[in-house]
Amino acid sequence: MANQRIELPQGTLDLLILRTIALEPQHGWAISERLQRISSDALRIQQGSLYPALHRLERRGWIKARWGTSENNRRAKYYELTKIGRKQLEIEKDAWERLIAAVAQVLGTA
Amino acid sequence: MISDLLFRLKSLLRRHHAEGELDEELRFHFERHVEKYVRSGMPRGEALRRARLEFGGLDRAKEECRDARGVRWIETLLQDTRFGLRMLRKSPGFTAVAILTLGLGIGANTAIFSVVYAALLRPLPYAQPDRLFTLGEVRSQQELGSDSQNENWSASYPDYLDWARQSKAFESIAGFDADGFVMKGAGDPQVVSAAEATTNFFHTLGVQPFLGRDFAVGEDIAAGPKVAILTYQFWRTQFGGDPNVLGRTMQLDANSVSIIGVLPKEFEFAPRGGAQFWVPIHIEQEQVTRRNLRWMRVVARLSPGTTVTQAVAEMGTIRSRLSAAYPQEDGKIQVVMIPLRERIVGQVRPLLLVLFGAVGFVLLIACANVANLFMARANGRRVEFVLRAALGAGRGRRISQLLVESLMLAAAGAALGFLVAHWGTSLLIGAIPKPLLNSMPFLRDAHANAFVFAFLCAATIFAALAFGLAPALQISHQRMSDALKDEARGSSGAGGTRLRDACVVAEIAFCLVLLVGAGLMVKSLSALLHRNPGFDARNLLTFSVNLPENAYPKGADGVRFDRDFANRVSSLPGILGIASNSVIPISGDNNTIRFVIEGQPVTLGQEDESSINDVSNAYFPVMKIPLVAGRFFNDADDSASALKHVIVNQIWVTRYLHGENPVGKRIKFTYSPTQPYREIVGVVGDTTGAALDGPDDPALFVPFSQAGDTYFNYIVRTAGDPALATAAIREALRRIDPQLMMVRPLTMDQIIAESPSVFLRRYPSYLIGSFAGLALILAAVGLYGLISYSVSQRTRELGIRIALGAQRRDVLRLVMGEGARLAIIGVVIGVAAALALTQLLRSLLFGVSAFDPATLAAVCCVIAIVAMAACYAPARRAMGVDPMTALRCE
Repeated sequence: MANQRIELPQGTLDLLILRTIALEPQHGWAISERLQRISSDALRIQQGSLYPALHRLERRGWIKARWGTSENNRRAKYYELTKIGRKQLEIEKDAWERLIAAVAQVLGTA
Repeated sequence: MISDLLFRLKSLLRRHHAEGELDEELRFHFERHVEKYVRSGMPRGEALRRARLEFGGLDRAKEECRDARGVRWIETLLQDTRFGLRMLRKSPGFTAVAILTLGLGIGANTAIFSVVYAALLRPLPYAQPDRLFTLGEVRSQQELGSDSQNENWSASYPDYLDWARQSKAFESIAGFDADGFVMKGAGDPQVVSAAEATTNFFHTLGVQPFLGRDFAVGEDIAAGPKVAILTYQFWRTQFGGDPNVLGRTMQLDANSVSIIGVLPKEFEFAPRGGAQFWVPIHIEQEQVTRRNLRWMRVVARLSPGTTVTQAVAEMGTIRSRLSAAYPQEDGKIQVVMIPLRERIVGQVRPLLLVLFGAVGFVLLIACANVANLFMARANGRRVEFVLRAALGAGRGRRISQLLVESLMLAAAGAALGFLVAHWGTSLLIGAIPKPLLNSMPFLRDAHANAFVFAFLCAATIFAALAFGLAPALQISHQRMSDALKDEARGSSGAGGTRLRDACVVAEIAFCLVLLVGAGLMVKSLSALLHRNPGFDARNLLTFSVNLPENAYPKGADGVRFDRDFANRVSSLPGILGIASNSVIPISGDNNTIRFVIEGQPVTLGQEDESSINDVSNAYFPVMKIPLVAGRFFNDADDSASALKHVIVNQIWVTRYLHGENPVGKRIKFTYSPTQPYREIVGVVGDTTGAALDGPDDPALFVPFSQAGDTYFNYIVRTAGDPALATAAIREALRRIDPQLMMVRPLTMDQIIAESPSVFLRRYPSYLIGSFAGLALILAAVGLYGLISYSVSQRTRELGIRIALGAQRRDVLRLVMGEGARLAIIGVVIGVAAALALTQLLRSLLFGVSAFDPATLAAVCCVIAIVAMAACYAPARRAMGVDPMTALRCE
């Protein structure tokens, strides 16, 4: 059951990416690995959606990309939060929590 | 937003670089993935396979990344453009026809509309031009809508003064008239045309000189002019744009005239469009005091807050007051009040609107043709679209491909259209004879109108897109397999075919309307040019001579000059005769006089009025106007007895003597109580009046009394080309007095060719004719395209028919029949439309009715022949279909 995959609601991937790179710059593979690990394998992000999302966030100016050296000494593209991105993360997190609370409340009373 | 744009731009400019980075990024990810599986103990081959499986389509991921970066559409566009160019190059016929059609449709319409705009829509360059009106006096006997616009635009000076004094509805009333001088300066003296005006004239128009000052009160003296205001153009050409021109003098006739101002560049005044400069009115005793000498044109500005109705009512009151006070002069007078713009463009408006309508038809045909072409082309490419759809091209992608192609064609068409509009506008203006252009100065700077151009581009392109896209959209509604099967069978969607049929039918109908219009105009022009004006217009030269008063002060001097000059000219080789008169026929001039017939008592002020011409004895023989009864003037009439004799024409006799024998009857002019009774000594044939398209004019002729005249019109009959006689006559004039000038030498043919009545037919004849020709070509192309397409679609069917024994003749009949059916429907609709629409041409027609069966029949024949010719080539192709090939090609 642990492997059961969850469909991500629209827009949550952006939130998860922002949160994942909030502590330190990460490259794409690390982001997907980390999401998978932290969610106990519940979330598996396909490259087909991860990279377009990264590029989209970069275009919006929420994250920026920088080439660096990976842990195994190879060139990799690292993404980090920009100032706007950090603000955006707070906004999205807030919105998400309120959504969860509201949904939980409805489910609890019904 | 800005950063977003910058990002996209950067991505676009660093496209190749970015591609490399994307590659590297994704490859890194992939390799890490493989590594992970290998580390977990998977064999390398298996790890690769799994990673690839999980990774999904690499290209799709890349594509989506590009999408996310926001540059993909540009790449698509480049791709589509390249592909589109290739497609267009592959079918040069289609490309050329589409571009030509678009270009001519857009260009011709922009050109015509630009002229219409300059004439009818652009405000006149005066302050609040819609508050300006013209005032004129007519005798109620004259019809208000009389042919010559200017006939009912004149007032006498005393009446003008009374209007100006009594009117409250007009804040300012001004008068003007034509003027002309011999200007002496450096080089040869030259004849310059000018205008004289009351000193408040520019104030009334709301125009300020751009240099110097306006006329001042009191500068309108009879001994003038002493001051002048130059037009901008004259200032540039004659004075080189000298900024210190104020205070300089011009030698005009015997006067030294100082320049007090220069009018602004944009100033124009159509009623005196040819005037080089303006002087204050300088008029003589008779003009000032004679209340029934109506010569001045009057412009007035409504007072603020006054309505037109109030002004009309007030002028009515003033008029009745004047009628009561001066029953002899003003008893039968009506005042006509017409907006200035109406007065200026009233005559050309119907012409312009007709041209506008005609060119609109060309646009409709162009649109129909373009739509047709695009539909045919898109239909022919259905297989391509279906294949593209099957290979995964989305609907948006298919549409974008077509859009790009259409827009490329449209851009080329628009570029051509721009050139056509530019040249067309100059051509339209250039085709107007100079004297007429002078009377329409607002056309001089007409240029291709950018707004109209843009609008027409949009309209035409919209048509192309709307029809071109339809087939591409249709495919998505069908199941692709059906479409492919359908295509293999070689038939086309019934809906598309019907639309294309409708387009061709519409083209034929529009074309027919234009051809009928052109036919009627050409017929009118021909009728006008072949109209017998009542005299022999060939080989006549006309000109005027103005004797300066200081050199020819006495009447006898004029007489001596006239006799001397006539003798010299008559003795020149190739000159058959010379005559002088006061009004040159067809030149637009006209003088009228009031008279009473002995024994027909008339109330004071209610007398009849007819044209009058002072003519020398040689006038009738030189003009070849036939004598009907009595005699011509002879030398005996030149002397003191001149006042006693008069000649009339036939229509005068019919109108005023009701068939009584005219010779021996006596009439009296009523402008002065001292006028004697004059005996009618002869009756001559009728001639046209001031305009060639007007009715024959009742006219009186009196012997030319040279005494006191300083201005002579001459008419010379030559054996050969009259224009060639000009130099010899000018030399003869110079021998008599080197300072005399030949004013406005024109052959009668020129006068006729440049007259408004001929222009109003010749201009639309040419233009509607060219439009109709264009329409005919477009319609033929449309029909040809449709039938060719249908033949190519029916190759298999035709092959089977032939295989089953159909004769070639039957095939020919089948294909031609299809074209004939469309042509007949188009002709029927077109004839109905033509019958309705040519009514609008009526005011321009001459000697032909709007419903002219001969024109209609001829046009139908032309269309039938062209339609059959357009169908014949594809029909021939159909006849040549080889049944075996036709069946095998599936």
